[in-house]
Amino acid sequence: MGKIEMILNAKEDFKLGKIQMILGWKKEDESIESIPAFIESVEELEELIYDEYCVNNLSKYLIEEAKNGKKVGIFLKKCDALGMEQMIKDNRILSENIVPYQVECSGMKDFQTGEIFKKCQKCLDESQDKYAEVKEIENMTHDERYDYWMGELSKCIRCNACRNICPACNCETCVFEKKDEDILGKANNESETGFYQIIRAYHVAGRCSDCGECERICPVGIPLGKINKKIIKDIEELYGKEDDDTLSSFNLEDDDTFTEKKGGK
Amino acid sequence: MKKISKNNLLLAWQKIDEKFDLFLPKSENGNVKFKNFEESGEVDLTTLKTSIPLKNFVFPQTETFLKFKTKDKKIKFDITSVSEDEYVIFGSRPCDIKSLEILDNIFLREPVDTYYKAHRDRAIIISLACKNPESSCFCGAFEIEPTSVNKATDISLIEAGDFYYWNTISEKGQKITELLKDVLEEVSSEDLVVLNIEKDRIKLELEKLPLNSLDLEKIDGDLQEIFDKEKVWKELSRRCLACGSCTYVCPTCHCYDVKDYAGNNAGERFRCWDSCMFSDFTLMAHGNPRTDQMQRVRQRFMHKLVYYPNNHEGTYSCVGCGRCIEKCPVHIDIVKVIKKLVVNK
Repeated sequence: MGKIEMILNAKEDFKLGKIQMILGWKKEDESIESIPAFIESVEELEELIYDEYCVNNLSKYLIEEAKNGKKVGIFLKKCDALGMEQMIKDNRILSENIVPYQVECSGMKDFQTGEIFKKCQKCLDESQDKYAEVKEIENMTHDERYDYWMGELSKCIRCNACRNICPACNCETCVFEKKDEDILGKANNESETGFYQIIRAYHVAGRCSDCGECERICPVGIPLGKINKKIIKDIEELYGKEDDDTLSSFNLEDDDTFTEKKGGK
Repeated sequence: MKKISKNNLLLAWQKIDEKFDLFLPKSENGNVKFKNFEESGEVDLTTLKTSIPLKNFVFPQTETFLKFKTKDKKIKFDITSVSEDEYVIFGSRPCDIKSLEILDNIFLREPVDTYYKAHRDRAIIISLACKNPESSCFCGAFEIEPTSVNKATDISLIEAGDFYYWNTISEKGQKITELLKDVLEEVSSEDLVVLNIEKDRIKLELEKLPLNSLDLEKIDGDLQEIFDKEKVWKELSRRCLACGSCTYVCPTCHCYDVKDYAGNNAGERFRCWDSCMFSDFTLMAHGNPRTDQMQRVRQRFMHKLVYYPNNHEGTYSCVGCGRCIEKCPVHIDIVKVIKKLVVNK
C-alpha cells in the first residue's frame, strides 16, 4: 500500500477515535531531517510526513506511549516492524493497543551527507551476501580478531546510545542501571567497556531484529551491527532458520539444561 | 608572526616530540581523535571535530584519584599524582580551545580542582584555524570564529597557500617557537596579503553557514519564564532517548560522578564523566529530585544557556561546535532549542 494512503488511513483512524495518538515523522523549522512526531490532536495531523529522511525506528517509543491501554497508531518500515513484534513477544507492549501502518521504504538518506545509509543499502541489495562482513572477521586469526575488536571498542565513549535506541533493549530497568547491584559503573576503560558491549550483545541474542539503528547512531562509528549479525548467523547455523524464537523460549523438559556442563557446542 | 612550510611540518613535530609529549588529531577506524605522535593512525588536519572533545585532556573521562588497600586491619591510601611534564596539543580548533576557558571558570575557582589544574598547567596548545567551517558549526553566535584566538591558546596557526602562519601568543608558546627557530621562517609583506585574503575568505564562508543567523542576545530573559516553558521541554524530552552522547561529545559539559572500584582488600576511587541525561544523575541518599526525562533535558539546556551565563558574566556554556547536533540519534538540535526559547518569549 502506498505511503500517502497509509497516512490517510492513519488520519482517518485518528479522527474516528480508533487510535488516540500517532507515532510518525514530521519536519521541524523547514529542516531536511525528519524527526519523530507524537500526534495527539487533529491540528497536528497535518504535520505528518513520510520521505527519504524518516530513518528513526519509532517502535521503542511504544513502551512509553502505548501503556495504560492507550491506543497508538505507528508508522513502521519493514525493518522497524520486527522491533515492534519483538517487544510484543517480550510482553513489553500489548498488540491490542497498537495499530501499525507499515510503509514502503526504498532506503533512507543521511540528512547530513545526502547518502543512503549503509544499513539500507544492504537491505535493498538482495544480491549482497548479508554475512560477508561477518565472514571476513571469521577468517581472521584469533589475534587479528582480538586486535580488530579491541581497536573498535576502544573508541566507545559509554554513552549508551546503542542500548537506548534498541527495541530489543527493553528491560524495565537495565541490569547496568540497577541501583543496588553495582554491576557496571560509568568508568570508561577497557574492561568495563568490553563488559558492557559483550553483555549487551548476548542479551539481545536471538531477539535482535537487525534494524541497524545501534550502528547507525553510534557517535564514534563502532560497527555494532557486525556483532549482532555474527550472533544471527550462529543461531541460523546451530538451530536452523525456521525457528525464530530459538533463544527467547525455553522448555522445562529440555534435555539441554543450563546447569550441566556439556563442553559447549 | 612567522610561517612554516607544509614540507617542514613533520620535522617540526619531531623536534617538539623530542622535548614534549606531542598530541595530534589522528584518524583510525574512521574516527579522529587526539593521539600521541608516536601512536598509530594518520595525522588528519582537515577534520574539524574530533570524536572526543579537547576536555578529555584536562578532565579525563575516567581518572583514578587514589588507591586503597587494607592489611592487618589497617587501611593504606595511595594518592595518584599528576605528572608535571608539559605536553603539546597541535591542531585543536578555536571552539574547542574556548571550551577550556569555560571549564577553567568551574574547576579553577575556589576550591581549585587540583587534578584539573595539574593537567591544565602543563598543556601547551597550538590552535589551527578552520579552513572550511561546516554546516553544523555556529561558533560565530558565541563570538568565536574559525580564526579566533582566546586566552587558552599558546600559538595560533592559519593555513594559507604552502604555509601555516605561526602566531606566538603566550610565554608557553614562546618555548615552542624558540625550539623551532631553525624551521620557522620570517613573513614578508606579500605573505600578509595572502593571509588577509584567506582570513576574509573564511569570514565569508562563516557568514554563509545555515546556523549563522542565531541571535543569542534575546535569550537573557526571565529565568523562571524560561524554566516554565513546559511545552518546549516536554516536546523535546518525549523524543529524547536518554542516552548521553550529546553530553559526552560536548566540549563544555563537565558534570562528573565519583565512584569506587571496590575489591575485598583493595580498591580505587575514580571520577568519571556523568550525564544529566542519565536516570541516576542527581541521585542522592534520599532519592532523585529529578524524576523524569523532562527535568533532565531541561537541566541540560538551562545549564548551558541560562545558569552558566548567569554565573559567568553572560558567557554561554556552548561553543557552537555542533557535535551534539550531528550526534543526537533523534535530531534534538540546540540551535532550534535556542530559537524556541527566544521566539516564544
